[in-house]
Amino acid sequence: MANLNIDAAKERTFQAIVIGSGMSGSWAAKELCEHGVKTLVIERGRDVKHLRDYPTTNMLPYEFEHRGQLTNQMKEENPVASRCYAFREDAMHFFVKDKEHPYVQEKPFDWIRGYQVGGKSLLWARQVQRWSDFDFEGPARDGFAVDWPIRYKDIAPWYSHVEKFAGVSGNKDGLPNLPDGEFLPGFELNIVEKYFQEQLKKNYGDTRHMILARCAHITGNLEYYQQQGRVKCQSRNLCQRGCPFGGYFSANASTLPWAEKTGNMTMRTDAVVHSIIYDEAKGKATGVRIVDANTKQTEEYFAEVIFVNAAALNTNLILLNSTSNRFPNGLGNDSGLLGKYVAFHNYRAGVSAEYEGFQEYTTSGGRPTSGYFPRFRNLHKQETDFLRGYAAGFSAGRYNYADQSGIGMTLKEEILNPSKYSPWSVGSHMMGETIPKETNCVALSTDEKDAWGIPLLKVNVDYDDNDEKMVKDYQEQMTEMFEKAGFTNIRVRDDQRAPGLDIHEMGGVRMGKDPKTSLLNKDHQLHACPNVYVTDGACMTSTSTQNPSLTYMAFAARAAHHAMKNLK
Amino acid sequence: MHRREALKSLAILSGGAVLVPSCNFETEDILAAYQNLNVTESMREVLAQIADTIIPPGSLKGASDLAVQDFILVMVNDCIETDQQRVFTKGLQSFNTFSKKVANSSFSKLEQAEQEKVVAQGLSISNESTDEDEKTILEFLRLTKRFTIQGFMMSEYIMTQVKPYSLIPGEYNGAVLISSISTMKIDG
Repeated sequence: MANLNIDAAKERTFQAIVIGSGMSGSWAAKELCEHGVKTLVIERGRDVKHLRDYPTTNMLPYEFEHRGQLTNQMKEENPVASRCYAFREDAMHFFVKDKEHPYVQEKPFDWIRGYQVGGKSLLWARQVQRWSDFDFEGPARDGFAVDWPIRYKDIAPWYSHVEKFAGVSGNKDGLPNLPDGEFLPGFELNIVEKYFQEQLKKNYGDTRHMILARCAHITGNLEYYQQQGRVKCQSRNLCQRGCPFGGYFSANASTLPWAEKTGNMTMRTDAVVHSIIYDEAKGKATGVRIVDANTKQTEEYFAEVIFVNAAALNTNLILLNSTSNRFPNGLGNDSGLLGKYVAFHNYRAGVSAEYEGFQEYTTSGGRPTSGYFPRFRNLHKQETDFLRGYAAGFSAGRYNYADQSGIGMTLKEEILNPSKYSPWSVGSHMMGETIPKETNCVALSTDEKDAWGIPLLKVNVDYDDNDEKMVKDYQEQMTEMFEKAGFTNIRVRDDQRAPGLDIHEMGGVRMGKDPKTSLLNKDHQLHACPNVYVTDGACMTSTSTQNPSLTYMAFAARAAHHAMKNLK
Repeated sequence: MHRREALKSLAILSGGAVLVPSCNFETEDILAAYQNLNVTESMREVLAQIADTIIPPGSLKGASDLAVQDFILVMVNDCIETDQQRVFTKGLQSFNTFSKKVANSSFSKLEQAEQEKVVAQGLSISNESTDEDEKTILEFLRLTKRFTIQGFMMSEYIMTQVKPYSLIPGEYNGAVLISSISTMKIDG
């Protein structure tokens, strides 16, 4: 029996454990496995294999009972998930259902989650813009949060590393605030978008730019991606179903199969992490305690190094729940700041309008991206009564439609031969930086637990006065830019959405130079427990304005290489 | 169509149509597949005739050839607000009364041209009408028209045989001259 136990412990021992198989965890796993490190990946959800587990990927519109629409029942049962734009009939099986995974909203917070192998990398919007030192230097320059312990030069080679492997389409724009990367050919801006680009140049010189957004889609270097079994993006725009071409980057299509091919990866699915095991005698973390999602049995796995990539808020939850005599308030939480300084991106506002020019033109085909405004506000110096600024999406389009006023044969002929074109409509949405604050935080419930005996997460995150001022400024500035470009019928909106729906929640386990005011060092190790690394959204000291996934991927790859130095 | 498929197979097993007793003293039973609506088989037939009036058969199939009436019932039953569901059921129930009022005949007994007049008249009821019954007919016909068009255009028949749909739309072209697009006229 004793031997059996030793064998069992041996079978449960790896060199590295990665918690989470999504955007950042799959990158840690890929780097570790590729370099010979025996790695266990723990995923709380079910397996989703590339191609095999994309049940809707090739379904035609008429094969969906409600032609893509959500039913009342789905909406009623999932008030949070159904507010996400991608939660529709074709992709709802990849989203967490509200009832199954409750959390406590001390203030309204739409927590959008994907519990399966690949996580939200199946569902993301695939926008990948680099940070620059205008972003990393933000907290130090403007006096909020704490100084980032790294700068652009530390992460630049890792951006290149992940861009090359993931496949990023874009143009070299030469902007210091949005550095160029390893780009495959860019998609095309349309005639109205190009017109707007020129108008900006005319009206604002070199201070404001609208560029083609860089996106994680394969558009060239095809032989290289063939090694991953991925081919060129077909512009289907059905990405959220899982792509049979592997045209966009997902963990399922790219990093995980790559890691698996090495023979060094073990995947443990349906395993809900309870906590990280801390050994006081050894003074380090030694493993991970999980609860089997189906049998609810507890199991332990052991490793020399542990990566926590459970997605920002769940990473906070796991660390908060990892208590010991040494760390009574959560692993590595000597500063008492674990779970605090959570922030997000403000997506509340949008501006739309019409353009009367180019009536003789339209567009054809598909495109998985659109235009992008890098931040221009407060870029070189403080110029407004609020801190920081916003990026924005931008696109123009028009559609062919039928006059549906009649009935009978008149209507039938008209809808079969649609003869009308809408005016060009143009639209923009803001992506505002929010300022991390101690009061925006997450904590464990002391009385409520989930079906696996793990305390529910209490989320207490809200907008502040800075965000309100920024919404107003975005609306004013975008309106002005639209007016100067001759756009008409300009409408501004503020949909008052709750934080969270941006799906860019960040922080709680922030990086910093000083263990008294931060949790992680410059290499993503917990200051007080350095064999534990955090490289997902939880590590973010500030949020800046760029879609954050690319930065998490680069962080994960960089930290994996740091960990390997210590393993060898 | 899982639920309806299941009901269909249940019907085969039980050797007949699956119907639940009506609770409003009608002689006819209501269709169990649409649990949020009080719809009988004869109401479903009227709906099919209205759908065919909106999109009639011609050189191409019409709405009821594609069972658009069932699509309408699915969408109304599953996807619209409860108060709209009530208006829909009420409008469908009272549609023959409306037809008798404006054309002196139940809807199914009218010639196609007459049917078209009745539906057109119903759709031309003013938004500002204060007559509850008229408003109900207007709302009912608007919903029916909307789902008839959607059900017809997004049917397998149209999307495979008439205007083949491709999951791959082709590479993006951001400046296409509309005058350069050649389209073949499709006869209804």
